[in-house]
Amino acid sequence: MRIFCWLLLGTLNALAYEEPLLPEWSPKEREQLESMGWVAGGLLLTNDPVPDEAEAQKEAPLAVEAPSAGEIADDATPSPEIAEKYLPAYFAERPTSFLIDPQGLLSAADYRDRLSFLTYHASDSAIDLYVYVIGGNQEIPGQVREEEMIERFFSEGRPAAIVFYYLGMPQRSEVYLSPSITDAISAAEQQRALASSVMQAFEKLNPAEQIESFLVQMSIRIYWMERMLGGAPAPSSDEVPIADRRLAMKRGSEHAKGESIAAIQAKAMKYAGPAGIGMGGFCIVVMVGYWLRRRALYRFPEFDVEPRLGGAHAAGVGAVISFASANLPPASQRDQVPDYLRRA
Amino acid sequence: MKCPRCVQRIHRAAASCPHCGFTLADADARFGAEEVRIGRLTDSAGILRRGERERVTAALDRVTQRFPQVFVAIYTGALGEVSNLRQFGFWLLNRSAFEDVPVNLPNEAGILLTIDPESKAAGMVFGYLLDPFLEEADTFDCLSRAHAYWLEGLYADGIVRLLGHLEGILVKRSRQARRDPETFERKVLPPRQLGDLVRRIREGHRQGVDEEATVEVKK
Repeated sequence: MRIFCWLLLGTLNALAYEEPLLPEWSPKEREQLESMGWVAGGLLLTNDPVPDEAEAQKEAPLAVEAPSAGEIADDATPSPEIAEKYLPAYFAERPTSFLIDPQGLLSAADYRDRLSFLTYHASDSAIDLYVYVIGGNQEIPGQVREEEMIERFFSEGRPAAIVFYYLGMPQRSEVYLSPSITDAISAAEQQRALASSVMQAFEKLNPAEQIESFLVQMSIRIYWMERMLGGAPAPSSDEVPIADRRLAMKRGSEHAKGESIAAIQAKAMKYAGPAGIGMGGFCIVVMVGYWLRRRALYRFPEFDVEPRLGGAHAAGVGAVISFASANLPPASQRDQVPDYLRRA
Repeated sequence: MKCPRCVQRIHRAAASCPHCGFTLADADARFGAEEVRIGRLTDSAGILRRGERERVTAALDRVTQRFPQVFVAIYTGALGEVSNLRQFGFWLLNRSAFEDVPVNLPNEAGILLTIDPESKAAGMVFGYLLDPFLEEADTFDCLSRAHAYWLEGLYADGIVRLLGHLEGILVKRSRQARRDPETFERKVLPPRQLGDLVRRIREGHRQGVDEEATVEVKK
């Protein structure tokens, strides 16, 4: 009861409490102080609006010269061509892998992840996706004609979309389709797919993340290409269901991570059955063996033993051990001596 | 094989200890010559509780179950001034009649564990059936297993542990005996005498002559 009274009193006090008012400048006092000079913090003590700093900076822009057209052109100019030693790996034959990166532009981990995604895409889609990874500032040599190469390598086999991806500069990427589906899918649709993928890539800053986003989006667009092959209308980038995008993004990221685990699980599942049967059989054999041994009867051959020391039944004197003290362990009693010697 | 009194080695068929002259008659003079009727588990010292007695009895049964020719008996008692466990065990296994042991199991097939909680000593004795198969070192190993328990006064635990180890030794010896019985038989054969050697030589010669005669008859 007393506690309740204290609580009630405290609550009423808190409600009745009121903060004292802050002191205010009177216009006269302000004028008096300002006539004496600048007052530190005076700006905060008035109701005048604080001048906008951004506007103040706009008033005095930095005097920097704009880049010339030549400089801009120089930046965009790709410097070297792909080294000649890499050309056979790129363009000599139909690629055996979905990700062609003979220069090793991607790190090993990124390469593995992207390749696993492309492999997964191939298993899930009727149109394979082949990606040639090229340096962002590199250029395909003039003697290599992409259309002719694709005609030569991708005329047979499963339909495929071939992307020349410039690492770090996705806007330079190019996409081609294998001849078997070129007629069914318009060039405009191809360009839309490419533009959509490039836009997705530009949402990321890291080149490795850019190519991941690019490939995920391209995979989604290929799905719609598949539908177009089946007679469905082509969607715009906005029409691609967000759920599909999310699903593909999720598949892209998760699948890459889970690929190695899935491979291990697949191998484990392959051997799990026989291993389980083997282990079970082994356990049963061990248990049966143990059970049989526990139930086994052991017999001794009976020999005629001549009695000793007048004993009709026994004269086999075994050991004697003392457990009077922990300081006298069995090891020190191994040499059996008569008791009278031990007691002495 | 050792003498229970002087613990000196004696030969296989010694009527008395060649070192100290000990015989069962000396033990009879000390402990009595009458037959003693006891149970397989005789806890005269009262060191086992009821639940512990059941555990120990189960362990004793298990030994007899696995080794149908063998039984184990346990005697606990304060032997006082006459506490020579070797002589007492030797005497008890020869003079006792175990009431709850099947009649087809004579004392020759027995293994007797004697525990004196007063002097804190324990000993083992075994009958003639196990003479070829058990050695003093085996019984020492068994007692060593129980030593730590008995130090703490856990007599039942020590006994069960001892019996478990004894089972292992008996299993091993049984298998060895099945594979190579001659090795164990040689341990208990009476010592050869010079006359045996001469007899065998003569028998061999006689056999040779008989064979030659047989061959000539066939010709």
